Amino acid sequence: MKAIAKTALPDLFAALQGRVYVPVRDGKGFSFGLWEGQPWPDDYQNAIVPPKHILFPQTEDLYTFRMEGEDMAIDPVAVPEETSFIFGLRPCDCRAIELLDLVFREGPFVDAAYNKRRENTFLMVLGCKEGVPTCFCTSFGLEPAFAPGADWNMWDLGEVLVVEPGTDKGKELLDSLGLFREATDEEKSQVEKLREEAKGTITLHAPTEGITELLQANFDHPLWDEISRKCLECGACTYLCPTCHCYDMQSSSVLGQGRRFRCWDSCMYCNYTLMAGGHNPRPSKRERVRNRFLHKLQYFPENQGEFGCVGCGRCLINCPVCMDITRFMAQAKEVMAK
Amino acid sequence: MTNELIPQIAKVVAVRKETPDVKTFTVRGEKGLPFSYMPGQCAMVSLPSVGEAMFSITSSPTQADMEFSIKRVGLLTEALHKLTPGQTVAVRGPYGNGFPVEMLKGKDLLFIGGGIGLAPLRSLINYCLDNRADYGKVDIIYGARSPQDLVFTDELFERWPKIEGVQVQTTVDVGDETWTGPVGVVTKLLEELNPDPQGRIAITCGPPIMIKFVLRTLAKLGYTDDQIITTLEKRMKCGIGKCGRCNIGGKYICVDGPVFTLAQLRELPDEL
Repeated sequence: MKAIAKTALPDLFAALQGRVYVPVRDGKGFSFGLWEGQPWPDDYQNAIVPPKHILFPQTEDLYTFRMEGEDMAIDPVAVPEETSFIFGLRPCDCRAIELLDLVFREGPFVDAAYNKRRENTFLMVLGCKEGVPTCFCTSFGLEPAFAPGADWNMWDLGEVLVVEPGTDKGKELLDSLGLFREATDEEKSQVEKLREEAKGTITLHAPTEGITELLQANFDHPLWDEISRKCLECGACTYLCPTCHCYDMQSSSVLGQGRRFRCWDSCMYCNYTLMAGGHNPRPSKRERVRNRFLHKLQYFPENQGEFGCVGCGRCLINCPVCMDITRFMAQAKEVMAK
Repeated sequence: MTNELIPQIAKVVAVRKETPDVKTFTVRGEKGLPFSYMPGQCAMVSLPSVGEAMFSITSSPTQADMEFSIKRVGLLTEALHKLTPGQTVAVRGPYGNGFPVEMLKGKDLLFIGGGIGLAPLRSLINYCLDNRADYGKVDIIYGARSPQDLVFTDELFERWPKIEGVQVQTTVDVGDETWTGPVGVVTKLLEELNPDPQGRIAITCGPPIMIKFVLRTLAKLGYTDDQIITTLEKRMKCGIGKCGRCNIGGKYICVDGPVFTLAQLRELPDEL
């Protein structure tokens, strides 16, 4: 375990060879952006938008194309060879990236662009001292002030930041930086205390036990009609979700020349599943809301063996009609037949 | 690592008009076949400035060339229908599980197709007929709305019926002055033919309403859910199980399908 004075953080950021992403003030909150010399923001809690976009950009060019008479040329757009450091992400967002890894890096196909970025990215997690009322990470087995998958776990002890590497790559990086001193025993015990106390600050609870099996047995339950009625299909929940990975692929072109790109998509949109002949397998809000919840709570466990929710609370905070996955889970437990 | 989402360029070497709204395109990559595949697998075909969509590969891997039979229903297919030989498209694949050709070995096969639904079946039919010794009797029941909507008429009326152990029955919903064959839905022919389920597998593809009635009729004729195979379609973008939209329950049709037995489908939620 090592330590660094928080006033020395700009030196650390300057020493990191690559793109350094830190929480940057964004309206009333923060989002992850490139460090440009600013001091560490002491009032940072969590980012409004998760740092998912650093690994999986909201819009990403795949290739350019041009038509030349009867011929066509296609030029792939390469993913840049550069190292990224996501400094200060929270354990929930780190866990979400591990879940995205299961989607993009496992299975019969690997997503080449995501995989390359992920290999070149350091996850430097800042443990949460305390949750906010919309946090429910502990329901999904997370610890608010520790991320098992992080390259670094860090804790803010006021004047100093204590760092513990979690991976070989994280340890190598830490050892290569001369800016740290060994953490004192006092600091180490403060970290233990912080970790323990943080757990008690998460007060919102989502009942996960048996929820997958319950939902498997209740695909046609009337609760789906009831909870979906108020949804406006704005898609905010899916855009702000750190584990949502759906994307669309589109082209932009003029006179046969253009680019093909992918961009985030949302299963909450009516044309998401609409087929060319007019058939839509998920024709109403009921099916679309159901798909979003089932993806997190049933399909992810079936396919990846893990829940697809990390309890970050962004969908609760930002839903204009207060759709609440924790409340839905509690309702399901109450009214759905076993 | 190659990016699976980036297609290769292929030349359209032939275009055959099947019906007023179906054309069959023969495409060839720089080195011949764009990629190897198995019957029932699919490919993404695109005109980059218009769009990209998943199509079943209509040809059999036993043939030299890759073919797609495409019905004109939307923006991309409208543009594809304007292609002439010599022009280029982009393709990537193969995607999906394909038909269980090993499991079908030694079995009698019953194909039931409707409309453009014969396109994916044709890949397997020709594969089995080109490996004739491996498969038993082949019965093909095919229906379309009208005589002019019948696809692959050369094979239906000339090539397939001449092969030993192959029976082809074709019906139309509404006949015309030239039509001398049966009139009515495929399920009517199916009931009349009444093929013994013993040692036989039924493979069906067509419009959802047809499939619904075919499944009902097959059950009546004594076919179990394990003896019935179908192939599905969904809106798709990536083809590699990442982009989301083609799921039925937890299964992604692009990688876990598109071919399922009825027994497998019954395990999934009803979201066809």
